[in-house]
Amino acid sequence: MDMGQIPLFSLLTQRMQWLSSRQALLSQNVANADTPNYVARDLKPVDFGKIIANEASATSLSLTDARHIPVNARGSAPYDQEDAFGEGGTPTGNIVSLEQEMIKLSDTQIQYQAATNLYSKAVNMFRTALGGRSG
Amino acid sequence: MDFTTSLYLAAAGMRAQSGRMRIIAENLANADSTSAAADGQPYRRRISTITTEFDRELGATSVKLGDPVADQSDFRLQYDPGNPVADKAGYVKLPNVNALVEMMDMRDAQRSYEANLQVMDGARAMLVRTVDLLRR
Repeated sequence: MDMGQIPLFSLLTQRMQWLSSRQALLSQNVANADTPNYVARDLKPVDFGKIIANEASATSLSLTDARHIPVNARGSAPYDQEDAFGEGGTPTGNIVSLEQEMIKLSDTQIQYQAATNLYSKAVNMFRTALGGRSG
Repeated sequence: MDFTTSLYLAAAGMRAQSGRMRIIAENLANADSTSAAADGQPYRRRISTITTEFDRELGATSVKLGDPVADQSDFRLQYDPGNPVADKAGYVKLPNVNALVEMMDMRDAQRSYEANLQVMDGARAMLVRTVDLLRR
């Protein structure tokens, strides 16, 4: 069974991918918090509700060989980025507010925790349905 | 893998900040270093520079410490005729290091270092949580 075929799992996987990409971008901001002329960046929010709607009516290419790569397989997909002009700004032209970045980071972590918890809950539901002992 | 990218970026940030700290320490340690000869120059304050660097391997904008730049401001003059390195008028040239400025820079470096450390903790926690999905 390919877990990625189940909409809930593929959605959670995409959500986790998006959050980890955001974490990487935020760490780039924090690392450059003292670099002159560096402007903080953030990922554009993705409408995951729309993804659900697309998943339901998606027509994907059928795989006739095990070596075929699914069309919707996204590796570390490049998500759209945007400049995140916040408060701050120093005479050196650096626009990174460490406080704002910290808030975004903790937000990302909480969202990630929610996604992983949902994932393991869903796996446990499968386990219950299959009659195994849920741990 | 985005989490390892996070970890590498945070490490680069910490490396840059600790390099900055090293230059601050150098300035503070030499805050009273006069020249060895009577008409020489005392220690000149160095300013750390931080620049971006696009890391192709990570596909992200990393950070690195640039070459330190010499501070071209005037030296402090102190009237001390008995000093062996005093000039003919009796003045001794002291380094253009201001301990207060160095302290402020040091606080800033510490704050940025801690922020990078927090990022590292966060990325690691997320990574561990993902690996934990395999356990049950």
